[in-house]
Amino acid sequence: MGLSDMVPDRFKVAYPKLQSFRQPNIVTTTADFVFSWARSNSVFPFTYGLACCAIEMMSAGFARWDVARFGMEVFRPTPRQCDLMIVSGTVNEKMAPVLKRLYDQMAEPKWVISMGACATSGGPFYDGYNVVNGVDKVVPVDVYIPGCPPRPEALFQGLLELQGKIAAYSFTPVLPGARPVKEG
Amino acid sequence: MSDFFLTAEAEPDEAVKLALRRIDEAQAAGQGSDVEGLRLNEVVVNMGPQHPSTHGVLRLVVTLDGELIKDVIPVVGYLHRCKEKLAEKRTYFQYIPILDRTEYVAGMNCEWAYVMTVEKLTGIRPTRRAEFIRVIVGELSRIASHLVAVGTFTADLAPLGTAMAFYTFRDRELILDLLEEVSGGRMMYNYLRFGGVRYDLPSGWVEQCRDVMKRMPKLIDEYASLVDDNAIFLQRTVGKGVISQQDVVDYGITGPNARASGVELDLRRTRPYSVYPELDFEVCTAQHGDVFDRYRVRMDEMRQSVRIIEQCLDMLPRGPVQSGSLRAPYVVTPPPGSCYVGQENPRGEYGTYIVSDGSRYPYRLKYRDPCFCNLQLFPKLLRGNKIADAVSISGSMDLVLGGIDR
Amino acid sequence: MGLEVGTLKVTMDEIAADLARDFAGDLEDVRIQEPDTIVARLAREKLKDVARRLKAHEDLAYETLNFVAAVDLGAQLESVYHVYSWRTNTWIELHVPVPRAKAEVDTVTDVWPAADWHEREAWDMMGIRYLGHPDLRRILLKDDFVGHPLRKDYVDLAENHPHV
Repeated sequence: MGLSDMVPDRFKVAYPKLQSFRQPNIVTTTADFVFSWARSNSVFPFTYGLACCAIEMMSAGFARWDVARFGMEVFRPTPRQCDLMIVSGTVNEKMAPVLKRLYDQMAEPKWVISMGACATSGGPFYDGYNVVNGVDKVVPVDVYIPGCPPRPEALFQGLLELQGKIAAYSFTPVLPGARPVKEG
Repeated sequence: MSDFFLTAEAEPDEAVKLALRRIDEAQAAGQGSDVEGLRLNEVVVNMGPQHPSTHGVLRLVVTLDGELIKDVIPVVGYLHRCKEKLAEKRTYFQYIPILDRTEYVAGMNCEWAYVMTVEKLTGIRPTRRAEFIRVIVGELSRIASHLVAVGTFTADLAPLGTAMAFYTFRDRELILDLLEEVSGGRMMYNYLRFGGVRYDLPSGWVEQCRDVMKRMPKLIDEYASLVDDNAIFLQRTVGKGVISQQDVVDYGITGPNARASGVELDLRRTRPYSVYPELDFEVCTAQHGDVFDRYRVRMDEMRQSVRIIEQCLDMLPRGPVQSGSLRAPYVVTPPPGSCYVGQENPRGEYGTYIVSDGSRYPYRLKYRDPCFCNLQLFPKLLRGNKIADAVSISGSMDLVLGGIDR
Repeated sequence: MGLEVGTLKVTMDEIAADLARDFAGDLEDVRIQEPDTIVARLAREKLKDVARRLKAHEDLAYETLNFVAAVDLGAQLESVYHVYSWRTNTWIELHVPVPRAKAEVDTVTDVWPAADWHEREAWDMMGIRYLGHPDLRRILLKDDFVGHPLRKDYVDLAENHPHV
């Protein structure tokens, strides 16, 4: 069994060279690909429920929806063990510094999903005096999920989009002092 | 984005300063736990707003002496979304969806409290069929909410992990399916209207609901069989965090938390609204007021809700679901005045106090949120307990921060 | 000990008459709001005294504070206390006018302990200062928030939005 058997079809489009490695054989590939493939299939989300969307995020983790099918069921309660922050709810001016601090505590590489209308733009509370209109004013966001709150299916689509994004991500080491640039 | 970094040198905020000040005051008064000149005996620990066990964004500044809790300062407001101010910019009708997002685990009940207040202000009377539908969806919402409460509460206690939460969330989906078919939303319903409800029940829904209700008691027994005789669960819950009846009176504790202390306070009985006087159900109470009793009252209430729903399905009358025309609820202008109506939410008395100035917009809207009142008792409940029990006690109080923080 | 609800069967008219008798000169504009609430107005100087007497009243015993709502009426502010009587299973709604320029009123935390957070919230949102409150800090907004947002003349300030 070669590595290519374990690779989902949609990634082969990005890596056509893998198609030829059908026989049991030595596989040559790039470190980028192996890292991306591994990382995209073992995302550790952060247990950081903010508001209503957090209840849907919990539902997504339980029996009917079962986020474990996508290799993301291990929600970690500490930012230092996570690489995905799902901002599930309204961020207000009191919470924003805390959110930024938690984001800073997460180890690189890290991603952020903005779940729901509130985290994306302020949602139904956009004109409130205490609401941050979009978490992207505080931390960089990779995937936005619309909905108020998004159904678990919508969350899954967001997670799959993120997996594709991670798979296309380059982890080539950069010179000391420079920060890797996120593509996408 | 400028001064965003909270570094180690950053100034502690007011709550932490208060905790430190209280330690100093206790030391000065000779009540500190300062043994043989050990100055650093008491530690201030920050719990939250991101903490896996506080169910949302509750933050507790805990002063610990070893493992014992000396003092707790709850800090709320991390989910303050200006809902009371937003009421001034939205018409009565436009404001209904915001109500779903206050206590988001039981949105239907929150809408109901608001709709009842506006109906009382304007003098609109809902139709009889609509009243029954409201009771049905309200009680379904109550079951769904208690399932979340019980599931997350047991998930916080070590012996089971998330085992019970898997069962409760599995069955919560059955109820969300029913509510979704009625209203179109899983959690945010926007279903109740002034003088009725938005849609009539879809065809076949009554049978489907009856079916789920028939299964529900067995499912509740299943949850009970998981924990009721679990020695570790009992050790961690029995006798912990006792709310006395005096506390209930002093702090305005309502809902299952009050009933667990033996107080028969249930607004469905003591201040009856809708068609509850016609229905036959028991007010579930317990005697001791500890964590275990609060859990048990919730389990019993789910059984009673099933009873209520079954009766309503039998008694469901025919007729319109909206008084007046279907467009009637869109523009509501109550006469000037103020009014408060309380309603029995799964967490206690939830009500809205509305001041009207005769225009289409509420002049002032204020929530009376049960969790906000229940959380006040928290420092008193936690003092003297172990830090690990803070988790079980907060779980048993069933706090929803969306309501506390407005 | 059994804490029971509605042990004393009285009509709303009787309660209103009782209040008019025992609190003559203190409670003004006593009226009944159907089905079970008495609405009354009182001056802020008398609040603490009346609150104590309402709680200690032998028949009515308004023991539990339900909530405190602060209302901005334009010319003046108002602090509204909603109090529950277990014995009669009724509520009383006390409207206490507070002048806008000097928004201060005595705290009732020592009478009804539940008032603690409600008064903090009213201070936070409406800027009514409760004199004698043990811990009058902001509760919902951040510590360095400027202004009291539920006042009608509040304008959204840029310093309250550092993240735009």
